[in-house]
Amino acid sequence: MASLKRSVDSDPLAANISNKIYVRSTKSGKVQKIVREVYLRQDIPCSSRLCQRCQTVAPKDASGKLIPFVLSDSPAGTKVFPQGHYLVPDTNAFLTAMDLFEQDSAFYDVIVLQIVLEELRNRSLPLYNRLISLTKSEDKRFYVFFNEFRLETHVPRLEGETVNDRNDRAVRKAVAWYGEHLARIKGKDVPAIVMLSNDRDNLRKAKQEGINACSLADYVKQLKDGEKLLDMIPETQDQDNIKEKRPGDNLYPEYFSMSKMMTGVKNNLLHQGIFNVSPYNYLEGSIRVPAFPKALLILGRENINRAVDGDLVVVEVLPKDQWKEPSTQVIEEDAITKNENPDAEESDDFVSEKERKALQEEVKRTHSKTTEGHAQPTARVVGVIKRNWRQYVGHIDQSSVSQSAQQGRKQDSVFVIPMDKKIPKIRLRTRQVSELLGKRILVTIDAWDRSSRHPSGHFVRSLGELETKAAETEALLLEYDVQYRPFPKTVLDCLPKEGHDWKVPQSLEDPGWKDRQDLRDLLICSIDPIGCQDIDDALHSRPLPNGNFEVGVHIADVSHFVKPGNAMDAEASIRGTTVYLVDKRIDMLPMLLGTDLCSLKPYVERYAFSVIWEMTPDADVVGSRFTKSVIKSREAFSYEQAQLRVDDSSQQDDLTKSIRTLLDLSKKLKQKRLDAGALSLSSPEVKVQMESETSDPIDVKTKVHLDTMSLVEEFMLLANTSVARRIYEAFPQTAILRRHGAPPKTNFDELANQLKVKRGLDLSVESSRALADSLDRCVDEKEPFFNTLVRIMATRCMMSAEYFCSGTQAYPEFRHYGLASEIYTHFTSPIRRYADLMAHRQLAAAIEYEAIHPSTRSRGKLEAVCKNINVRHRNAQLAGRASIAYYVGQALRGKATEEDGFVMKIFSNGFVVLVPRFGIESLIRLRDLAEVEPQAEFDAETYTLQTSGSREVKVELFQKVRVRVTDQKDETTGKRGVKMELVRTY
Amino acid sequence: MPLDTSTYGLALLRVDGRRWNELRRIYAQIRTQAAADGSSYLEMGHTKVMCVVTGPSEPGPRRGAGISSAGGAGGGGGGAGGQSKDAEVVVNIVIAGFSSVDRKRRGRSDKRTLEMQSTLANTLAATLHTHLFPHSQITISLHVLSQDGSLLAALINAATLACVDAGIPMTDYVTACTAGSTSTYAANDEGADPLLDLNHQEEQELPGLTVATLGESDRVVALVCESRVQISRLEGMLAVGVDGCKQVREILDQVIKAQGQKMILEGTVDKGTGLNDMDLD
Ligand SMILES: [Zn+2]
Repeated sequence: MASLKRSVDSDPLAANISNKIYVRSTKSGKVQKIVREVYLRQDIPCSSRLCQRCQTVAPKDASGKLIPFVLSDSPAGTKVFPQGHYLVPDTNAFLTAMDLFEQDSAFYDVIVLQIVLEELRNRSLPLYNRLISLTKSEDKRFYVFFNEFRLETHVPRLEGETVNDRNDRAVRKAVAWYGEHLARIKGKDVPAIVMLSNDRDNLRKAKQEGINACSLADYVKQLKDGEKLLDMIPETQDQDNIKEKRPGDNLYPEYFSMSKMMTGVKNNLLHQGIFNVSPYNYLEGSIRVPAFPKALLILGRENINRAVDGDLVVVEVLPKDQWKEPSTQVIEEDAITKNENPDAEESDDFVSEKERKALQEEVKRTHSKTTEGHAQPTARVVGVIKRNWRQYVGHIDQSSVSQSAQQGRKQDSVFVIPMDKKIPKIRLRTRQVSELLGKRILVTIDAWDRSSRHPSGHFVRSLGELETKAAETEALLLEYDVQYRPFPKTVLDCLPKEGHDWKVPQSLEDPGWKDRQDLRDLLICSIDPIGCQDIDDALHSRPLPNGNFEVGVHIADVSHFVKPGNAMDAEASIRGTTVYLVDKRIDMLPMLLGTDLCSLKPYVERYAFSVIWEMTPDADVVGSRFTKSVIKSREAFSYEQAQLRVDDSSQQDDLTKSIRTLLDLSKKLKQKRLDAGALSLSSPEVKVQMESETSDPIDVKTKVHLDTMSLVEEFMLLANTSVARRIYEAFPQTAILRRHGAPPKTNFDELANQLKVKRGLDLSVESSRALADSLDRCVDEKEPFFNTLVRIMATRCMMSAEYFCSGTQAYPEFRHYGLASEIYTHFTSPIRRYADLMAHRQLAAAIEYEAIHPSTRSRGKLEAVCKNINVRHRNAQLAGRASIAYYVGQALRGKATEEDGFVMKIFSNGFVVLVPRFGIESLIRLRDLAEVEPQAEFDAETYTLQTSGSREVKVELFQKVRVRVTDQKDETTGKRGVKMELVRTY
Repeated sequence: MPLDTSTYGLALLRVDGRRWNELRRIYAQIRTQAAADGSSYLEMGHTKVMCVVTGPSEPGPRRGAGISSAGGAGGGGGGAGGQSKDAEVVVNIVIAGFSSVDRKRRGRSDKRTLEMQSTLANTLAATLHTHLFPHSQITISLHVLSQDGSLLAALINAATLACVDAGIPMTDYVTACTAGSTSTYAANDEGADPLLDLNHQEEQELPGLTVATLGESDRVVALVCESRVQISRLEGMLAVGVDGCKQVREILDQVIKAQGQKMILEGTVDKGTGLNDMDLD
């Protein structure tokens, strides 16, 4: 009888086939065992340009092309390896010091082992991606050697050996192989192969096996200028070991194990969400979880348990008797933890005396409360699923620097105060304290142990002197993760060869004219802010014989120039949006396109994508169509110029008449929108005026609203809505749209209560229509700004709008709450927003102008694009605002002015005042009121703060106050900020 | 977890260490079950299948599970089974619950299984000389023991071997393999290399197709493509797939010749004239 023999025994190739077995657990908690084949081979080259032998076996791709060899034939040497060397870092080296490898000054000719790449990918996807982009950089010469697939370097796991030990052994084996392999090259001084590791055990074994191996610190010391690089290496493992030997020293509770957290979340005993820190109190955090309608509060250092703003954490809800109200007190980290000693922190009490006092006052207040209804559930952090740590911009806290450190070169601990107030101070060890004092610096957080009160991190680089324009601008761009480096050559190569000489082809036979409508005879013009160079949109209108009007919106045809999938498209999709700062614009697309070839400049022919409607005189849309076109704008107006022209009744030319028609129609469109329940929201908007020569800020003006601004806005909204409908019809699953969710009613609880108590006003939030109407009723005859103030506060209760892919939401969820539109997208600014470019491509496919590119209809890809541009969009807004705030501060420098302000928020020990003229808000603390801090009585029910003693004032919410605005530099922190002093109340 | 298919471009190596044009190890045996009319066992990498052929024989009572071919000529086939002029090919696939990583049991009415059954039945009916056996039935039962990609191809190859073992006259070997492409559809990478013989991970992440050819010719007898891929890449994929089928044919041919030699040496069959071309040394 025949039997099934074990097939592998009879196979001559069997020796070259290995299996890789590993176990993974799925989301649902099941454990799976996976067995994969591995084919071992000997044709994987070393990729050294010195090696002739590997050249003959080097693999070719399907089209017969060879991959060029990477490692230099004359690599740089160090003090210890003067003959030159190739580096082989282990996983730990990349995990702890990726910044080092990205340096321009050193770290060339690096061999990245497959096992290292694999481990890195499992540990940190962002670091993996950074390493992959290093391997693609031609200058850095990083080569990925697939050691696991090469017969000689494949290492099977031994019985009883841990995975880590095996992987370390695999690294050493590969290093040894490289050494032997290169040694066979005749007549040359071959480069040394140097293993980099911070694992002492691995280093020791390497020495035993006779392999060149260095710790990161030892290696960097061999380099020229190595001193500076030393700071970029996080504290070594040795110190951690010493710490661990002292039990009972732990300041924070231990985190739960991952499986315990997962089970808890599954059974609804624990909750998972993003941790947010209150902007006014660094000891108070909140987290939104689906199980509770209101955010869970997390109070105090111990409960926050090392969570940093933005981390994905798991929390446990505390018993009901520990539920509290959100803090009514301002607690700032600078003020409370000032003068802490960064070296001696382990001996300090965990919760400092000052912190304890601040918290006790809190507790006293909540306990005296009889009204239990206000109490909010509280929770404590029991574990972190995913850290959201990034690089942070900050400066060294001068008070944390010891005298000796300022002179010597010894490594010293200091605190870095991040620019972002929600991020805790970071402890940093550095040898260059004296050079870094007074500089803006970039740091990262490496770890936050249970035994350490503050997180520890390392220095990345210096941006320059504090308060210099270059340093502050770069700081801002880094904080908001704006991609500001110049466009690489691969991107610029995608631009039209003709450069600025590019023109719309003369001949109508040219392929560029295919399916394009000739609209050059229409009286089209553009209306934009003064000095606008990237003109996205232009308009026209003309009467039709039947009494209706033809109205056209013409948008720059960016998708003609930016083809999907090329380098320029990839760069634009990463940038996501153009970022506007006060004195700088960081473009999404290269200047040539943004300000010239795409820009709908006047008097020249340009490609456009047009939306054309037929409208009745009552602004009802009778018909609409979409077409690619060629236009010639007659004039580029500023809002002011257009307004003057419209208002000047002596102007009776056709162009002016058409603008008047547009204005008339836009007013009707706006009324329709408002009738449907669109909200008119507000945020304080100001404009910084610059000295034209020196570009120093000289004055701040609030923006004036003109009718012509609404004109443009209304037609853009209409175009966006029309396009949204069209692309959704063509691609029900993959249309790129924009939605604005209805805010949860509880978001308005506080504002509604404040209005009720202080002014007897009712805020209805059932629908956007009801909200719009009730906001209209929030007026104070004596104070016209009151209505704007309420709108500003209401805006902060809203959700933010977001891009999404139509297949991911049910149709009712498409709704844009603020615009009261069923469906909406962004189409009108493709030069500066990537979403619009995608919408252009989808619309072009919908009208059968061109075939759809697969990436424009792949749902996975579109979801990734939406996710990215949502973040970029938000960051761009924040960066813009931060830039204005910085320049407002600069404009005020050395001046003191008295201004009117309004009380927006009130605490038991201070209040926040908004000054509309500058669009800034600032905190005035009790201790700012007089030399000696006055006593104060805070009534949370009526939002009133009554002081007594050294100064007697009564401050209430919504109150108008007179404040003196100055700029002030805090000597200890080196930060310049706006300072407000209360002059009087009205 | 190992790396994914996106690292191919770094060193032209696939997730399991193969080059773009390499098959996995194929191991096959025939006459694995002495009691059956024909039987085989086949491994392509970690994809392992068994096949048993019964017939041609009198059609038994119809069972709902199997999928039958229309019987080649198509005339009068279907309904009354035994009444047709051609033999009916009935294919039955059983996928063991333990064959895949998630260990999910698939029912008899699983859509994918039904579809594979029908593809196999049609492919084999076109190659087997079913007209020689009117009013009869050829039953092909396949058992999937382990899955690691290219399942349909492995099933076709195993069925071919078992049919040869059963001595059913056929035009030529039907051999199959899969082909894919190194980058995803959405990446739209013009320079993507074609890939031969996809494993499970590659099948999950990359576009792919299954192709079966007849003997040493370029005649495609089955082509199944369930993923979205650019038309420009299809030609390269198909060429690589057809080439792979020829390599598979070589391997199957050796398996059968080796078995034939063994049977002669064991005296199971006489060294007849028909076996002259066999090299016995
Ligand atoms: Zn070599």
